[in-house]
Amino acid sequence: MKIIHFAIERPKAIVGIMLLVTLILLAFIPQIKIDTDPENMLSESEPVRATHNMLKEKYEMSDILVLGIINEKHPEGVFNKSSLTKIHELSEFIYTLQEIEEETETTPPAEENSLDKEKIKKYKGVIKRDVMAPSNVDHIEPVAPGTLKFDWLMATPPADEKEALLVKEKLLSNEMFKNTLVSEDGKAICLYIPITSKDLTYEISTKLQDKVSEYEGDEQYHITGLPVAEDTFGIEMFIQMALTAPAAMVCIFVLMLLFFRKLKLIYSPMIVAMISVICTMGLLIATGNTVHIMSSMIPIFVMPIAVLDSIHILSEFFDKYPEIKDRKKTIVKVMEELFRPMLFTSLTSAAGFASLAITPIPPVQVFGVFVAFGILVAWLLTITFIPAYIMMMSEDSLKDFGMKEKAGSEKNLLMRFLQKIRILTGTKPRAILAGSALLFGLAMYGISLIQINDNPVKWFSPTHPIRVADKALNKHFGGTYMAYLSLTPNQTTQPDVKEISNGLNQKLEKYLNQTDSTAAIKVALTQVIADAQKNESEEKFFSALTDNLYDKADESETDGEMAIWEELTSIVELEVLSRNQLFKQPELLEYTLQLEDYLLKEGTVGKINSLAKLVKKLNKELHEGDEKYHTIPDNVSSVAQCIISYQNSHHPEQLRHLVDADFNGLNLWIQLKSGDNKDMEKTIASVANFFEKNPPPKEIKHEWFGLTYINVVWQKKMVEGMLDAFLGSFLVVFLMMTFLFRSPKWALLCMLPLSLTIALIYGVIGFIGKDYDMPVAVLSSLALGLAIDFSIHFLVRAREAMNESGSWKEASFSMFGEPSRAISRNVIVIAVGFLPLLLSSLTPYKTVGMLLASILLLSGLITVILLPALIQIFERFLISKKE
Amino acid sequence: MKYTLKITLTLFILSLFTATVFAQKNLTADQIADKTYNAYKCFGDDRITTAKMDIKDKNQKTIMNREILVVRKNVKNSSKQKWYAYFKKPADIRKMVFMVWKNPKKDDDRWLYLPSMDLVKRLAGSDKRSSFAGSQFVYEDITGRYPNLDKHELVKTDDKYYEVKSTPIKTSGVEFSYYYTWVDKKTFLPTKRIFYDKKGEKQREYRVEKTKVIQDFPTITQFSMTNLQTGESTYTTYSDLKYNVGIPDNLFTEAYLRRSPRKWLKYNKK
Repeated sequence: MKIIHFAIERPKAIVGIMLLVTLILLAFIPQIKIDTDPENMLSESEPVRATHNMLKEKYEMSDILVLGIINEKHPEGVFNKSSLTKIHELSEFIYTLQEIEEETETTPPAEENSLDKEKIKKYKGVIKRDVMAPSNVDHIEPVAPGTLKFDWLMATPPADEKEALLVKEKLLSNEMFKNTLVSEDGKAICLYIPITSKDLTYEISTKLQDKVSEYEGDEQYHITGLPVAEDTFGIEMFIQMALTAPAAMVCIFVLMLLFFRKLKLIYSPMIVAMISVICTMGLLIATGNTVHIMSSMIPIFVMPIAVLDSIHILSEFFDKYPEIKDRKKTIVKVMEELFRPMLFTSLTSAAGFASLAITPIPPVQVFGVFVAFGILVAWLLTITFIPAYIMMMSEDSLKDFGMKEKAGSEKNLLMRFLQKIRILTGTKPRAILAGSALLFGLAMYGISLIQINDNPVKWFSPTHPIRVADKALNKHFGGTYMAYLSLTPNQTTQPDVKEISNGLNQKLEKYLNQTDSTAAIKVALTQVIADAQKNESEEKFFSALTDNLYDKADESETDGEMAIWEELTSIVELEVLSRNQLFKQPELLEYTLQLEDYLLKEGTVGKINSLAKLVKKLNKELHEGDEKYHTIPDNVSSVAQCIISYQNSHHPEQLRHLVDADFNGLNLWIQLKSGDNKDMEKTIASVANFFEKNPPPKEIKHEWFGLTYINVVWQKKMVEGMLDAFLGSFLVVFLMMTFLFRSPKWALLCMLPLSLTIALIYGVIGFIGKDYDMPVAVLSSLALGLAIDFSIHFLVRAREAMNESGSWKEASFSMFGEPSRAISRNVIVIAVGFLPLLLSSLTPYKTVGMLLASILLLSGLITVILLPALIQIFERFLISKKE
Repeated sequence: MKYTLKITLTLFILSLFTATVFAQKNLTADQIADKTYNAYKCFGDDRITTAKMDIKDKNQKTIMNREILVVRKNVKNSSKQKWYAYFKKPADIRKMVFMVWKNPKKDDDRWLYLPSMDLVKRLAGSDKRSSFAGSQFVYEDITGRYPNLDKHELVKTDDKYYEVKSTPIKTSGVEFSYYYTWVDKKTFLPTKRIFYDKKGEKQREYRVEKTKVIQDFPTITQFSMTNLQTGESTYTTYSDLKYNVGIPDNLFTEAYLRRSPRKWLKYNKK
């Protein structure tokens, strides 16, 4: 209270200090660093992230932007001269969307050449070589018996309609392209545009949009892919922030004006809200934090809470001033009454948010801590600046302020409503209690229906181009959401050298039996193998064996003998190679094909591209396009020879995206039909299930990576973290209430309305089938912080009133006066104030707006209905306990 | 045969001498390009070598190895050549053969033999600019690009090199827009060559790492190709290189593809 007196005595000093601090923190705001990368939802050191980055590097993967071109009007879809010409030109345009980022010197090798060595360029933007477009992929085709043709699939735009149809035929003949590059119905083509860094997505997609807007014709152009959704969201989020936050301010302002009718007076809560936001954001930036998707919502959360306390003060002041008629005396009286409830409401709200610091998600931690900070700033300002502000107004300007309609108060709609509630709670408390219990039960059932799910694409409203693109493209294609599954050897047991050598021996003998070898060679071979077997490790066994075989070849007396030894050496070398290069083994490729079939049947996956698919395609084309050979060849060498045929193409490096350089890691490109986390989770479960039911022929482990997977991981962490945070803060708030009321019974009573509010909110979310996503999860903390406010205000003052009057019946008349009016005003101002958020094109903002309004309305209503009923029923119990 | 060789050699050394000492400034860009092609790809009647290829990723780590017996034979009185590449390693592509009949006036004839499936494939099409066995070389880098396909300009001459800019006459079917070659004034071997992409940015760098005079021919024994836009590179080292060993014509026939060139695999042991 001392500080309040200081504020009342020296208002100018308070304003001065406030302005100084604000200006200092405001100065940091221009240094804002925006981070829209959802990967940062996980901390840098998170193992999942490390794996993701490691595998991305291993398979040289990048984030991919998808540009879809659909032609629904032309009978041949996009396969007409005009559409394909545009697609060709667009591809050429896409290749130019890169620039040199830096140039590095390579270490000069020892050499005779004194000419300068060129620098290696590092590009940023589109990775030209990896763009998947008809003009940037190879086509392989048997053109005559025994003749194979490798060529660019569409090196130049088609000269006529016939050639356009030929392009279609070529694209559809390749399983790798069907449903990925070209839709099965031939209506659409998707260009896959890998980029060096996700944060360039928005820039590049804007350039693409500008480019396609130049085109006329029947084609529709759609840009999609998770990086687009995420990066675009980041950019639009800040635009929305700049639009909705001020709109909310204006709404709150207008409503307050309606209630208090004193323009000058209601500036003060606005100032409190603005300064709280500036200080919070200023400090956030000053402490070196980046503004992430979460932290961009800080202003929206801080504003209502900042205004809340001020409205309590103004509401009281508004009601009391006409009686006291002295601003100083009135404000002292008001502050005496409100100091404790305001302190506790602020502390509980802050605790609710601060509890987010225990979630394992860095941006959520930052968000929680800084909202908590903002709440405390708002509290400090409310108890100092508001009194100071009132003191700085002249008595004159307040003279017509307050309850003019005091005499005719019965006519006031709000008051009549509150009186009806008073009568209701007085007469039917048990019915209210029963009704609340029933609602609570229903809510619990609703909560059990909650679906935990998120999808960055659904952060946009259904009419947003990204949502439209998503829908249109996923209709034609196997899905535009990429998830990657990496398979690597997982050898846990040392292979037995005896077993290996026996298997090998059979192969060697088989060869010897087919050639004109002598008995001497057979004997020598047996000896060589026996010698090698003395080594215990596989590696040493093989190296000893090959060394010995080479020696034998060198010692040979005749050419024929030498040839045999050399052949035996190469059989051993092939064995070593195939043991080391796991994914050239036919049985493993077959296994991945089984996995693919299984996943396709499970329903969430639209298409999978893999090395197995590529090998099948090559095998077929090498055999005159015969369908019979659309299979994996039956031995390692044939697989290797299919692969090297592919390596003779224009982009042999693209093999790296499917298999790592030493053929010990396989990467499956899984195209999901939706970006919903629940579908990704289902796919993860399907894969795990498949591995369990069908043990792979060799020990291998599987690991997921890619943005779609990352999203699932942080969602899971967030949901669990949020629950912990919520339960933790519930407990903290309960303890604080016990301290405030010095009675666990009252504390419990205080917790009831908020529990019912939160249960109802989440129950409804369950019933209407709204996904429990990031904004919904975070709002549980807000709900806790806001809903408890009203109960505290109500109960603190109810207890005082009961102490004064001796019974609830007496006290209830005053309780349904000023305190209930303050609560109602708060509800209306904030609930309505945040309705502009509903106009936002971003779903999380709508959700926040909708939920804020609901939380306030509900918790306000429940407070004024349930608490009086409970006090009525348990009056004796509560009072006696207290005394 | 021996006689012609001697004459060629003498003529060559004479021309070298003339070029370096007297006629340096008088050589036209086309002449330099012709001489370069000749020194680079045509010496001798035939040539045999074992090529080891180190295919490196952007971190200069070797990710693939190839060991190939490379045989080239000039067709008499013609600028035609026949090339034969027999893969010795890795074991899973052993015995694979890539064969080219190089024609100056029409598309090259190319064959690929895949031993494990026992398939002989003729490769159709005119595209000489696809990768050679997954390396940074396109197959035209291996067999050599005919100088008459490009327009040549002498950009600079200093005491050691001619710097020649070559621009393709037909732009279709090539991924580069032009290339620069630093030609050694003494040997006429290309020392460095930079290909520029269609945007005019440096794309690939060819470098000679080692040379050696073999049977009086200045010969490149180690060279590299680096993709300047990705950092990936391939190093090739020739060992046991010999000229004029008398390779018979039948080695370069479709019928021979399935056979192991036993005799020639051991040419270095003789």
